[in-house]
Amino acid sequence: MSVLSKIIADSASKSPWIYHINTGSCNGCDIELVAVLTPRYDAERFGFKLTGSPRHADIVVVSGPITTQSEERLKRTLEQVPEPKCVVSLGSCPQSGNVFKGSYSIEGPLEKYVHVDVTVAGCTPKPEAVIEGLYKAAGILKKKREAMKK
Amino acid sequence: MIVLTTILQILIFPGFLFASFIGLLLAGIDRKVLARMQHRIGPPIIQPMYDFFKLCGKETIVPAAANRHVYMLAPWASLCSLIVMCLFIPVGGLTFFSGNADLIIIIYLLTIPAVCLIIGGSSSGSPYAAVGISREMVTMIAYELPLIIVFLAIARVVGRGELVFSIKTVAEYQIANGALVSHIALIPAAIAFLLIIPAEVGTQPFDTAEAETEICEGPLVEYSGKPLALFKLNSSLKMFIMSALFTTLFIGVVYTGNVIADVVIFVAICCLVTIICMTLVHAVTARLKIEHLFKFYWTVVAGIALVSLILVWAGL
Ligand code: SF4
Repeated sequence: MSVLSKIIADSASKSPWIYHINTGSCNGCDIELVAVLTPRYDAERFGFKLTGSPRHADIVVVSGPITTQSEERLKRTLEQVPEPKCVVSLGSCPQSGNVFKGSYSIEGPLEKYVHVDVTVAGCTPKPEAVIEGLYKAAGILKKKREAMKK
Repeated sequence: MIVLTTILQILIFPGFLFASFIGLLLAGIDRKVLARMQHRIGPPIIQPMYDFFKLCGKETIVPAAANRHVYMLAPWASLCSLIVMCLFIPVGGLTFFSGNADLIIIIYLLTIPAVCLIIGGSSSGSPYAAVGISREMVTMIAYELPLIIVFLAIARVVGRGELVFSIKTVAEYQIANGALVSHIALIPAAIAFLLIIPAEVGTQPFDTAEAETEICEGPLVEYSGKPLALFKLNSSLKMFIMSALFTTLFIGVVYTGNVIADVVIFVAICCLVTIICMTLVHAVTARLKIEHLFKFYWTVVAGIALVSLILVWAGL
């Protein structure tokens, strides 16, 4: 039995599926996330895959400063992701509000709503930085899976 | 003793373990070759196995709107029908189940996974799934007609004027007269069958029912954890079964005298068929709309298959 749970824990870090939520980002970070999956950077070599449904996701990537409109959707989407899951904040916006800080319609930062596992700072972060952040998140997934068994 | 061997056949060879292993391997090769075609490095070949085990370790969420039993049992029913189908296909010349009309049984068994997807999706109560299942149904109707025409043509050829729907007869015919693809009248049928495989498996450009960028993988949208792992396994199994079916029906088994060598050659041919009719097509096409898919199958593919049927009936 323990062999099987070891295989499952190993697989957790090798097949992280990404779900991306845009909470009012300027689209800069979203484009960089897509750039990570292009032939030039090819995140699929680590097993990353963009999924369409939060139910299939392991890593939730949040970009944008969390506007009032998107707050409710963000909370609901995060609840729909099955355990073990990781939250990655992409860009400076979810971390601090960035240039939008102080606006009447900004509810961030992301830490208010959920524990953020990996923060990738930058406006926008370089694709290399995004890959590194996602790769770290994949490692955290394995630890979470191991902790889930106990 | 017979019960024991049957159980072993169902669980190990050529049933669950063997077919899943080869199916997941084919899916991995498909992804790797696709990546190489797009100048990427691509995931490791055993990536689908990582995906499968990872999904097994995820939490399974059943939506409140879902019918729990149907929702959980649909992937299992699909898996069972696929494994039964594996037993009918002579892997490397080893026949396990055989009957007088196993081709007809296969036509029925091939519809069960699609029906299970429809039932599972509709029980999840998601609007995305509703769109997905309606498309899945149309896809099923679209490829079923040419598939039956292809089988009719084959049955007529191997029955020498009569209709014989038996895989055993197909194998015997091929040993006596060479592969069926080399039979002039059946070349269009082989092409039609190659075109049916991607729709049956649900790969691009015929993955309209599971369009993940558009309707979030359609019927699978609410699935998570083990049932999702099973559905992913089922689609890999379908990949193996369809390519194995093509190999059995049109190329036949290469007998070298050594059982293991036979099986390896069989799997290698399956791999080649997968790359030709799924990976290549996937790399150069974009997803079709459902009405285009339907039109394509009922005109082009059915037309090609019909040419074959007419040639066969004309006695060529
Ligand atoms: S971090 Fe910069 S690039 Fe990214 S969403 Fe915010 S403003 Fe746009």
